[in-house]
Amino acid sequence: MRQGSKTINIILKVWRQKGPKEKGRLETIPVKDVSTDMSFLEMLDVVNERLTLEGKEPIEFDNDCREGICGMCGAVVNGIAHGPEKGMTLCQLHMRKFLDGDTIVVEPWRSRAFPIVKDLIVDRSALDKIIQAGGFISMATGGAPDANAIPIAQEIAEKAMDAAACIGCGACVAACPNASAMLFVGAKISQLALLPQGKPEAAERALSMLGKMDDLGFGNCSNERECEAVCPKEIKITNIARFNREFIKASFG
Amino acid sequence: MNWFINTLSSSIGKKLMMAVTGLGFVGFLTVHLIGNLTLYGGQGLFTSYVEHLHALGLLITVAELGLLLFAVIHIVIGTLLFYQNLIARPVRYKVKKNAGGRTIGSETQPYTGFIILAFIIIHLLNFHFAEHTNETLFRLVFTKLASPLYMITYIVAMIVVAVHVSHGFWSLFQTLGANHPKYMPIIQKLGIAVSLLFGVGFGFIPIFISLIA
Amino acid sequence: MQLDAKVPGGPLAEKWDRHRFELKLVNPANKRKYNIIVVGTGLAGSSASATLAELGYNIKAFCIQDSPRRAHSIAAQGGINAAKNYPNDGDSIWRLFYDTIKGGDFRSREANTYRLAQVSDNIIDQCVAQGVPFARDYGGSLVNRSFGGAQVSRTFYARGQTGQQLLLGAYSSLSRQIAAGKIKIFSRREMVELVLINGKARGIVVRNLITGEYESHEADAVVLATGGYGNVFYLSTNATSCNVGAAFRAYKKGAFFANPCFTQIHPTCIPHSGDYQSKLTLMSESLRNDGRVWVPRDPGDKRRPNDIPESERDYYLERKYPSFGNLVPRDVASRNAKEICDGGGGVGPTGYAVYLDFADAIKRDGKKIIERKYGNLFDMYQNIIDDNPYEIPMMIYPASHYVMGGLWVDYNMMSNIPGLFVLGEANFSDHGANRLGASALMQGLADGYFVIPYTIGGYLAGASFQEVKTDHPAFKEATGEAEARIKQLLSIKGKRTVDNIHRELGQIMWDYCGMARNREGLNKAKKLIQNLREEFWENVIVPGSDKDYNLSLQKAGRLADFLEFAELLATDALSREESCGGHFREEYKTEEGEAKRDDENFCHVAAWEYTGYGKSPKLHKEPLVFENVELSQRSYK
Repeated sequence: MRQGSKTINIILKVWRQKGPKEKGRLETIPVKDVSTDMSFLEMLDVVNERLTLEGKEPIEFDNDCREGICGMCGAVVNGIAHGPEKGMTLCQLHMRKFLDGDTIVVEPWRSRAFPIVKDLIVDRSALDKIIQAGGFISMATGGAPDANAIPIAQEIAEKAMDAAACIGCGACVAACPNASAMLFVGAKISQLALLPQGKPEAAERALSMLGKMDDLGFGNCSNERECEAVCPKEIKITNIARFNREFIKASFG
Repeated sequence: MNWFINTLSSSIGKKLMMAVTGLGFVGFLTVHLIGNLTLYGGQGLFTSYVEHLHALGLLITVAELGLLLFAVIHIVIGTLLFYQNLIARPVRYKVKKNAGGRTIGSETQPYTGFIILAFIIIHLLNFHFAEHTNETLFRLVFTKLASPLYMITYIVAMIVVAVHVSHGFWSLFQTLGANHPKYMPIIQKLGIAVSLLFGVGFGFIPIFISLIA
Repeated sequence: MQLDAKVPGGPLAEKWDRHRFELKLVNPANKRKYNIIVVGTGLAGSSASATLAELGYNIKAFCIQDSPRRAHSIAAQGGINAAKNYPNDGDSIWRLFYDTIKGGDFRSREANTYRLAQVSDNIIDQCVAQGVPFARDYGGSLVNRSFGGAQVSRTFYARGQTGQQLLLGAYSSLSRQIAAGKIKIFSRREMVELVLINGKARGIVVRNLITGEYESHEADAVVLATGGYGNVFYLSTNATSCNVGAAFRAYKKGAFFANPCFTQIHPTCIPHSGDYQSKLTLMSESLRNDGRVWVPRDPGDKRRPNDIPESERDYYLERKYPSFGNLVPRDVASRNAKEICDGGGGVGPTGYAVYLDFADAIKRDGKKIIERKYGNLFDMYQNIIDDNPYEIPMMIYPASHYVMGGLWVDYNMMSNIPGLFVLGEANFSDHGANRLGASALMQGLADGYFVIPYTIGGYLAGASFQEVKTDHPAFKEATGEAEARIKQLLSIKGKRTVDNIHRELGQIMWDYCGMARNREGLNKAKKLIQNLREEFWENVIVPGSDKDYNLSLQKAGRLADFLEFAELLATDALSREESCGGHFREEYKTEEGEAKRDDENFCHVAAWEYTGYGKSPKLHKEPLVFENVELSQRSYK
């Protein structure tokens, strides 16, 4: 037996909301004997099993890969998107980070652009729409030149990769005091603007993605840096600065 | 001109206007502070500064109009952004914590902005639109600032300015796209230094005056 | 029915070129008259949708998640193979082909596997042009690594997130076509029926997971790219929504399911810690390059690992396989771990784990080097298990990871149902009985970018289509069937939750149809599965309604399919009386206890035809003909 394996009792306060139009509320659910080796989502699974057997409706929450890469899961736990641990999605959070007797408040991402579907599930299709507005390189399949035809400095490739690591979970929007999507958009703009393949349409991309973002009801960035603080992939706000630069170049250049 | 309007009406465009006008105010406050330092040199030095300033004539009027324009932009756009950001999250969190990005400056930015606006109105009524000549201005400054109420108002206002600038300074560079891992830490430190300089430099004037009054 | 793989004639290296020339073409102006449904938006589905849309076809793309970007391809870590030979170390299309077919223990189709190797180079070019930030050297050229025991360095990678980057590349192309209006995307939809009209696949019925409504979609061809069925084991490295549903619906409509018993178990996963365990996390296989696998020599030894002296440890892989040691192939490493643990020799809180020790590597290379190589994996391990692997040996255990089996397809990726194409992990075609590391990404993208765009054109141009609308009775009937099934699930109101039953199914599959199988166990498993299936339909409890988002209901529908499919898997495993690749039958092994193929009797694809609920499926054999490679026996001693 490993050291430190134990069980704790917690009080869960979870946002319950039947549908987008319905009124929601925090429901208090005491949970006993939670193994500290459980992940946060496994704890919710256990609660849901119990609710089901009691004839109640389980808590709906989005999740899929449960290893921090698909970007499906996410909730605001005790006031912080994806919970208290840095550089981690909700599915990677483990119960050993909580103490016996803790009250844990779980709320969905909140943003005008992310309407609630049910309980902790929100509709993040706005992020897809932004990508559709220009988050791509316009090239058709076939006819690509040899992969090594254009050398890309390692430093640039690494920077592009840093930005490309975005999993599109929406935590940046959830955490931003203004519900702005600048980190999400900035990351995609940066990745494609850094790479030579993405440069030809960099200007058009910056303008169209920004325009779409503005239309969808996200707030404005005021450099609060909360996005960077909660991003599970630790994407930096230097990407937002690059987005700003790309926008300036595109508008005034 | 269509592109120009499109540019400025976008979210980054609005932020750019805030950044550029904010940068203008940092410049103005710096010049203003240097001028005000003449107060420490006594009536003679201060009066000569005021005379030199007023001798600029049309130039000063243009500068004033420029400042006014900047102020209008900064206030109108700032208020608009504040409103837009508010409605971007119609349902607020029951529990919301700082994850480590926000500072007192960033968190209070719109509110300190409104306080500064109120202060500027008082300040202009007190000195700019009050009846004065080059000669009487020194006395006016002295009598006003020596009163405890004004003194406290001014000191508090200057602390608020410092808090506002503490976020605004580095933030404007970020908005203008000037964020580089090498230089950003320096810019951030400079921001703290500038806000302290404004806070202490302006804030100490009423204290100095009440001391020598 | 005779299965015709439609493999073109001629020398192996010329088959694909020749076939592309011989395939009929659809006139550019006519392409916009054809509608194609693509189910799934992983590597295969996204790349197929994007490429077909670029050609001019009208695409409807469906995904189960909230966004096409979240398909489980995104979780692939290691890399993607290609025969570029950039490192100049002797790689070639032929070598990649040979490694793949040999790795698959000679149970894949030569022509398919050769084509896969052929188009592998184009994939890398395509992805780089899309903005995939592959790892590069200081000079700015792409770098490769050796992966999964390959003797050449042919694996391209983007940190430990290659799958993510490739998928986001395909997703960006997909997004571009959505913006262009050529693709209509339907997210949070689950395919509940395949619709056949006059024997051709002409549409699907999906359930809108948010509203619960059934939606009918008609098309001229249906492409399934719905991934694998690894979650039949409940605990696997797959995402929680991965399921066999769409493929199984097709199977029930007459598509043959090929080689379902070919499943791959990955040896280096983080062991499970309790009954609440929902999934297993994979750690890169590269760990075995430096870690040493061991268990205490005395099975009852409960001392902490570092307190057990060297002389009382059993480095069983090094002992049994002196030349390959800890680097034996996936299936061998997995099977040995299972044997040890089943015999009570395992470690950790559940007894189902073995140690992977880095102490010697740290002593040899220093902590810095080890940290640079495996730092992120060690962090991940520490976060989950709460032990420091730099100081205390890691615990690992095998887990279901990938399936080689899938719907039967011919050389054109078309199933035996005309108009139903199957791509990626959902088909059976290219990996034989075992898949090599870094080849899954290659296959998904090969199918989507470079195979289906040609072959689907050949089908469309060669067939005639009557106009079909969704008011056709076939759609109504399919919708009715699906709705009845859902209603029934809700009406049972029993005492066992969906996950609870699924966990039991997983345990049965793991115990009897996992890494090692035998006749007795498989027969027992079939019985147990049948009983469990009966219990499911009598005693499952599904909360909530079918009119809003209800994950339990979704899971219940998927489990219902798994409960039928599991029996098919066991049946296939039972009928394949040989050991090959991921399929190890204890009765068929060499004197040293290693897998023993029976090329005389089992050198074929086992394709199963559905004959009715509870009835034995009918076996069809597609003989595998090897004209270009010689069948050899693997040996890792």
